[in-house]
Parts: sequence; C-alpha cells; structure tokens
Amino acid sequence: MRQLHRAARERIWLSLALVLLAATVVLLIVVAGANPLLAMKGLLEGAFGDRYAIAETVVQSVPIAIVALGVAPALRAGVFPVGSEGQLAIGAVTATATVFALKGVPAAVALPAGCIAGILGGTAWAFLPALLRARLNVNEILSTLLMNYLAANLVLWLVRTVLGTAEAIATPRSDRLPIEAIIPKLVEGTRLHWGAFAVLLGAAALAYWIRSARGLGFDVFATHRDLAARMGVRDGTAVIGTMLVAGAAAGLAGWIQVAGLQGTLYPSVAGGLGFTGVLVALLGGLRPFGIVIASFVMAILTTGSNGLQTDTGVPSSIAVVAQGLVLLGAALVFAARQRKAREAVADFEAKPAEEIR
Amino acid sequence: MNAAQLGFWAILLAGAVRLATPITLAALGETLVERCGIVNLGVEGMMALGAFMGVWGASQQSWAVGLILGGAAGGFLGLLMGLAVLKGGVNQIVAGIAITLLGIGLADYFFQIWQPSGRSAVVVPLVPILRLPFLDRLPLIGEALFAQSPLSYLAVVAVVAASWALRRTTPGLRLRSVGDDPEAAQLRGVDVVWVRIATLVLGGALAGFGGATITVGYLGSFSDDVTSGRGYVAIAVVIIGRWSPIGAMLGALLFAVFDSLALLAQSSSVGLPVEFFSSLPYAMTLLALVLTARAQHAPRALGRAFDG
Repeated sequence: MRQLHRAARERIWLSLALVLLAATVVLLIVVAGANPLLAMKGLLEGAFGDRYAIAETVVQSVPIAIVALGVAPALRAGVFPVGSEGQLAIGAVTATATVFALKGVPAAVALPAGCIAGILGGTAWAFLPALLRARLNVNEILSTLLMNYLAANLVLWLVRTVLGTAEAIATPRSDRLPIEAIIPKLVEGTRLHWGAFAVLLGAAALAYWIRSARGLGFDVFATHRDLAARMGVRDGTAVIGTMLVAGAAAGLAGWIQVAGLQGTLYPSVAGGLGFTGVLVALLGGLRPFGIVIASFVMAILTTGSNGLQTDTGVPSSIAVVAQGLVLLGAALVFAARQRKAREAVADFEAKPAEEIR
Repeated sequence: MNAAQLGFWAILLAGAVRLATPITLAALGETLVERCGIVNLGVEGMMALGAFMGVWGASQQSWAVGLILGGAAGGFLGLLMGLAVLKGGVNQIVAGIAITLLGIGLADYFFQIWQPSGRSAVVVPLVPILRLPFLDRLPLIGEALFAQSPLSYLAVVAVVAASWALRRTTPGLRLRSVGDDPEAAQLRGVDVVWVRIATLVLGGALAGFGGATITVGYLGSFSDDVTSGRGYVAIAVVIIGRWSPIGAMLGALLFAVFDSLALLAQSSSVGLPVEFFSSLPYAMTLLALVLTARAQHAPRALGRAFDG
C-alpha cells in the first residue's frame, strides 16, 4: 500500500516536471513576442509545409541518424565518445580532397572513393582517443571533445589554404565538387539524395549487431567487465572497436554532407550534427528504430525552427533549447521506468518461492 | 633576454593570468562537484549562459549586477541538474549534455532577441583593473600578477579558501565523504542528496560567474560560442589537477598560457598559420590529460548513481 502511494507520488512529480519543461518552451516563445500557437504552426509549416520542406526535413535527419547509429554500439558498451563533430568534419575533408585528387574519373569511381575516404578520415580521427582510452585510461569524453577543437582548426586551415577555392570570396570554402562526385538526387526539385539509404543500411547493421552474440558480450561489458571477458570481449577490443566504428560513421556522414547536400566543403560542415547525433542515440534508446525516429524529430526541430524564425521572428536557437529540454524529459521518463523495473525485480525476489511457482 | 623579449613574455603572462581566470573559477566549481561524486558535464552551458547574463546585466545596470546574474544563472542550471540527477535518477552524463544544450541554447536565444543579428554588438564597460602601486612595475611578472582585474585576485582567494575548507572544515569533510563513500556517509547522518544538490548549485554558480568574467572581465561583449570549449577545458583541468583546487588552477594556467600565445600570434605575423596557435591550448590540455592519466586519485564514488 505504501509502495502504491510512492509510485503515485512519483508519477505526479514526473508529470509535473514534464509539464514544466514544455511550459518553458511556451514561455520562451512568449518572451520573444510571438503567439505560441502561431509559432507551433510556423514550426510545422517549416518542417512539412510543402514537398520541398518535407524532403528537407528528411535530408537533414540523414547525417544525424548515421552519426547516432554509429555511436550507439559505443554507448551500449559503456564507452562515451563525443568526438563525432570533429570526425565528421575530418571525414568531409578527406572525402573532398580525394575527389579533387581524382578529377576526371567517372561517377562509378568518384562516389565510392569519396565514401571510403570519408569513412577512413573519420576513423583515423577517432584512433588517437580510442588508443588513449584503451591503453592509458584517458577519459574518452574529454579527449574526444578536445579533438573536436583540433579538427575544427585543422579544417579551417585546410579550407583556407590547399583546399580553398581560387575565387576571391570573404568566407573560406572549397571549389564545387565535380558533378561526377555528387550523390544523385532521389527526388527531383528537392535536396533529398540517395545517401538517405545509408540510414537504412546503418539501422539494419545496428539491429543485427544488437542481436548477435558478440553484441551481447559488448552490452555486458558496460556493466560487468569480468563477465564480458569470459564471453571473449577484451577491454581493448571493446573500447577501440566501438570508438572506431563511431568515427567511421561520422566520417561517412561527413562525405554525405559534402557530396550529397552542400556540394562544397565549408569549414562549418559539422555545424553541431555530431553533438545532435550523440543526443539522438541516447533519445532513441540506443536502438535502431528509436534512433531513426529521434533523428527525424531533431530534423523537424531544425528545419521547423528555421521556418519559425522567418514566420514569427522567434530565434531559431529555440531548437537547441528544445533539444536540451527533450533530452532532459526523456531521461526522466527513462529513469522512472528503470526504477519501476528494478522495484518489480526486488518484489519478485522478496516473495517466497512457493508464491512464485 | 633583451627588452623586446622581456616585453613579449610580460604581455604573454599578463594575458595568461587574465584568460585563466574564468577557467579557474569554473574548474574550482567542478572540483567541488566532482569531490562530492558527481561529474557535471554541463559546465560549458553554464558558462555560456553566465557569459550572456553578465553582458546583459552589465548593460542594464552595472558590471556587478552582470556578475551576480551570471552566477545566479549558472546556479539555477546547477539546481536543475541536481534535481534531475538526484531526484529524477537521470544519468549524470546525459543530464550534463542536456544542461549544456540548455545553457548554450538559452544564451543564444536571449542574445538574438536582445540584439537581432545585423545590429552592432552592445559593448559594456569592463570591471576596472586593480593596480598595486610599485609592484605592477616589476619586470616580467609585474603586469601579470599586480595589474589584473579584481576578478583574478578573487579567483585565487577562492581557490585557496576552498582548498583549506575542503581539508579543514566540517562541510568540507562532509562533501568529501559523500564523494568517496556515500552509503557510509548516509549511515553517519550526512544527507547525501542534499549535499550533492547544494554542491551542484555552488559549482554551477561558479561556472556561471566564470562565464561572466569572460564577457564582463575582459571581452566586453557576447557572441555565439564565446566560451569556445572553456567549460570542457575546465572539466579536463580538474582531472589534470588531480581533484585539488590549486591543481585545477595550475591546469587552467597551462591552457591560458597557450591561449594567450594564440592571441599574440593573431596580431603579429609568424611563420606558422594562425590555426596552429589556436589549436595549441586544446592540444596541450589533451597532452596534460594523457600525462596525468596514470596515477589518478579520483573520488571513489565519482559518477556512480546513489539511491538512498
């Protein structure tokens, strides 16, 4: 009986917290001098208003989903790399450089070459933090975060010098990629391209990994090192392997952004996608289906908030605030559910054996 | 050393002390938070919001109001994180990422409402520099040590005071006990949840105050990404400084020396590209992190969830 009360009280607190988080967004919109209902309409129109907007929302979700699917195995194994931002930028650079070096080759060569170069670039940038974590126990959260700043500077320098366009412009960028290296469009008249299929492949790969025996061993590694070792998962393999996979996925996303969406390398190519990717992996519960849905929600926030800004003047950075609040709310719900599961187990174990039978 | 070289080093050191101040304050807060067993990954967001509130408060009233608002904003985010982690049972790392997004998002959001892009930035008066007579004319270290913002002196005093309080006072002992063995501390009558929430509020306030010292202390204006990773650096220097306030301050100085060098390199033509110098502070922090990774003395319950 007492427990029932506690459960009810917890539910009330949780609902209250979620209402408060939602109210914060409404309040912020009011502070900006806009009508929250009109703002909601602006957001939805920005994300789904016409064919172009829908395609734009889908295409924005692609790199986020790829990064998230790649980080998921690491997070499942209790490793926490936050370096996707830098790895994505490096992947974009290596892909661009490769494509320019191979000028004049047909698309059948330029596309796979760019793709592989992007993956290798991202993987390479993940290598040092992975090795440091596995061999010297250097905190991977901080090392990957610091590597992001090194990547940003490296990319800026390369785009300003060797990879930079010869045109006289104020903001540094590369030349446009040759047409052979551009990923073909999936829907004419929009920016949606064939790279979107990488999300499906990634989701399938993650689904397979979760169900495999090896994947289970890596899951166990997160909480029970010794048991995982007996299942054949060694420290070094788990840490280095998952961190390199995360880097590879981010690098792939880098190639997709340059060759699929922008067609030109800008220093700002990562633009927060790496962080959003890690966030989406968490929101999606580290499962393929959840991640794809969560990446779509984040993309709605991004494209929708741009529509919101043009419609009502509410700054588009409301999207970042909303991301934080959504993550906080989802984490609260997740924690409450986990607590309930734990209590159920405790109840079960407290019962005498006959009753269970 | 000739006069020109001496002048270069004097400017470099003076800049380093100035640039180390916000990181020292934030890292001091993070040291306390980690000593009570929590990893606060939200420092970057707390600093960002503090930096914005600092400028806004300074433009409305005075720099003192700006600093107070900056600290209050950081403390509020700390409270939010504390409630989420200790009352809501949220994973510390996840909560930290959420708080970072929230802080950065709110700072940019309010800034864009206050100053829509395209308008020239509002510049606020800085905290006046406090010169100690005669001492400030000492060669090499005079400018660095005796002609600084009062905020820098305040940071040093706070570090020494916290260092003493952690070791010698009852609240300090309670805080450490909660970070090393929360279950035992709880048995002896320490309210673990309350201590951790209170420390997070204090740590958040220090991070927010540190953010405000960037804008009100030496920049005078706010821009997107004004903190540029200093919150993460603050977390790194806590590890580099082995969870001692003074160690964290020295770590902050290491970053700041190279940050100061990068600023100097921007204004003078050197053979190497600017980006090389801009990377140096982060690269050196990473290197220090690697070199100190071996013998670690982390609080024993660091990062572990507590359900009392």
